[in-house]
Amino acid sequence: MSERRESVSSVSRRDFLRAAGMAGGAALLAACAPQATQVAAPTTEPNKADQPAAEPTKADQPAAPSGEQVTIAWWNQFVTPLCNELFPKIVADFEAKHPNIKVEFELTGGPPGGGDYIEVLMARIAAGNPPESITLWSPPSQFGARGALLAIDDLMASAELAKTGSFYESPIKSCMWKGKTYGLPASAGDGCIMINKGMFEAAGISSKREDFPTTWEGVKELAQKLTQVENNEVKVAGFVPWTQAWLKDVWSGLNGGQLFDADEVKYTINTDNNVELLEYWLSYLDDLYGGDYEKFNLIATWGDVYPGGAFNLGVEAMDMTGTWGCTDGEVPFDWEVVKFPVGPKGTKSLTGFWPNWWALPKGVTKPNEAWLFSEYMCTEGWVTWYVEGTMDIPAWKNAPRDAYTKLVEKKYGTERAKDLNKFFLDYLPDTVEMWTSPIEDFATDTYNQALDEVMHKVKSPAEALASAQEICEAKLQETLKSFE
Amino acid sequence: MTASLQARPAGLKKPGFQMTRRTRESLTGYLFVMPWIISLLVFTAYPMLSSFFFSMTEYTILTPPNWIGFQNFDVMFSKDPLYWKSVANTVYYVVLSVPLGLGVGLGLALLLNQKIGGIGIYRTAFYLPGLVPAVASTLLWMVLLDPRLGLVNAGLKAIGLEPVGWLKSATWAKPALIVMALWGGSGSSMLIFLAALKEIPQSLTEAAMIDGANSWQRFWSVTVPLLSPTILFNLVMSIIGSFQIFASAFITGAGPLNSILMYMLHLYRYAFRYFNMGYASAMALVMFFVLVLFTLLVIRSSSYWVHYETSGRQ
Repeated sequence: MSERRESVSSVSRRDFLRAAGMAGGAALLAACAPQATQVAAPTTEPNKADQPAAEPTKADQPAAPSGEQVTIAWWNQFVTPLCNELFPKIVADFEAKHPNIKVEFELTGGPPGGGDYIEVLMARIAAGNPPESITLWSPPSQFGARGALLAIDDLMASAELAKTGSFYESPIKSCMWKGKTYGLPASAGDGCIMINKGMFEAAGISSKREDFPTTWEGVKELAQKLTQVENNEVKVAGFVPWTQAWLKDVWSGLNGGQLFDADEVKYTINTDNNVELLEYWLSYLDDLYGGDYEKFNLIATWGDVYPGGAFNLGVEAMDMTGTWGCTDGEVPFDWEVVKFPVGPKGTKSLTGFWPNWWALPKGVTKPNEAWLFSEYMCTEGWVTWYVEGTMDIPAWKNAPRDAYTKLVEKKYGTERAKDLNKFFLDYLPDTVEMWTSPIEDFATDTYNQALDEVMHKVKSPAEALASAQEICEAKLQETLKSFE
Repeated sequence: MTASLQARPAGLKKPGFQMTRRTRESLTGYLFVMPWIISLLVFTAYPMLSSFFFSMTEYTILTPPNWIGFQNFDVMFSKDPLYWKSVANTVYYVVLSVPLGLGVGLGLALLLNQKIGGIGIYRTAFYLPGLVPAVASTLLWMVLLDPRLGLVNAGLKAIGLEPVGWLKSATWAKPALIVMALWGGSGSSMLIFLAALKEIPQSLTEAAMIDGANSWQRFWSVTVPLLSPTILFNLVMSIIGSFQIFASAFITGAGPLNSILMYMLHLYRYAFRYFNMGYASAMALVMFFVLVLFTLLVIRSSSYWVHYETSGRQ
């Protein structure tokens, strides 16, 4: 009797696990369902440029009614001590201008709660609950092509400040993919060569901007004069031109080349111009620095002008930076900025830019408020940042041309601050097209690998670039196919 | 209880669902483990199964996955030039770091099993590196191994040796990672070895001494066989951990000529830098099967070298 009763009423492990599994599955589905509907829009055909975004992006859609408080979240990818000091002030200015919008932000350089910024951001976009406004240090073209960002062309068309055409051409092109705009460049931060005036004068060389050589050969000769070698050891390097990965497109452009053709959507890495560029860089290593790449790298940290780097320590006479180097570099000696030299196949001096981009992720619930904030931060807000904070020149063409960074003025005087502002503003229209590839990070890694192989003399420049071209083009085609 | 139920008149029987005591106990047990089961299903089993599925798809996180069959595996094995580089780097790392880690852990445990004053301080000191987060310990070692300013090269110079490029050298970058792993990872294996050493009966060692065994013979014929189950455990865990090296490789980067581009770093880049989650899932699947294979091989081989005190050779 007891056996029968037990067999009737007992729940077997198998039954129980089956029920638990079903319950778990149901719970999981229930948890996923609302999010799935939120992401549904970008998951259909995310990259068709001719299709409007599914979210309410039209500028004619009204923002929240006046008086109704709307809170938006802003994630910022970078953090400096100045961010904590100045961004709250800029946000407060925005909130004063738009009293119904409150901006919640966290200036940690990462997402709220920690983790890798892009990793968490992508997960939030995929899950359908992204922050309303984001900054990026990788180009919006790359994310926009993948359907991660909202196209803002309609919003720009009727904007008060960030109208179509109100940004410098190359920086805004870095936000575009197939005719659609997926973000705004707040800064342009054009590049330059910074020289140590004391070293130049000690070597009997003019440190005036106008006297700086304008050709590759001229700069190499200058670097040779400034290089100091004792007992076969490099004590001071004149110039180490290959160190800044973000300027690779500029160097290519200086020799009439290009790495990625955004209009034709193809890589052009293994051209004669680019092979000649790597041979030029390699000639520095061989002719000036003893030819051993790893031994040379043990001397100092080459690249940029920041404290701790070779230039800042007086171990390198010239190095490259963006406009921000004038303030953030904290260079402890007298310096000057000059333009990049032109290669044998080039026609004019060109520069590059590395913006702080603003974008609206796909799936934002308050696109109009998010747009107003992003627009402000990339226009008037960034002018405040430029004047009160870092010398990171605005990409907004309507920024006052006579604005200059107070920190530069305080340190070097008004005339110098004005002169630097004018130098970079005048140079800005001469920027190469860059940051336009949908596989930007992959291509950068691949190009750097090719450069590493060339400098280690594992491959010749032609071999390395041919390999990089093949890899990047294959990846590009694979990626484009995935967009179809 | 059964008797009382049998004695109860049919009319007084409680209505509804009746459970026996055994069923109730089982249910209670399941309820207690339910949080773990749910966590296993949601956070481990579901992602694992999803990963199996994604490995056969083109999946960019932001768009629905497209089924492409074994294409990711084809790319992995025949078209991705860095895949085999990452495999070679990881195998090199595993082959050197696993035996070295076990050797150092065992050596430290033997030293710290001595009856000397202040032994607790030494034990703590040697275990502490294992508590330092991987990111912090990697950053610390990057400073120590700095070619120009690092203490390690300063020490080499002090004894008349040439300084080494460490993480800036294609030749020395992998050994540098292994040194980092030894410093951070030996403490935990040492602790497990130490606990096992404490379990070895003194009588066996004394009996060997009476039989005339010298210290090496006592170690090799008494200590090692009795430690073998612990060695097996540490070996399996070390193999799994070494194949999955990530934090230090992520922070130091791929190194010159991709000399420290480890498998998991390559996988991570594809997943979160190049947004190719399908390919990354395929890489994860291959790693999973490799780990299963190695674990099975080690466990299968254990019948030849692991000694269990209670039942002789297993």
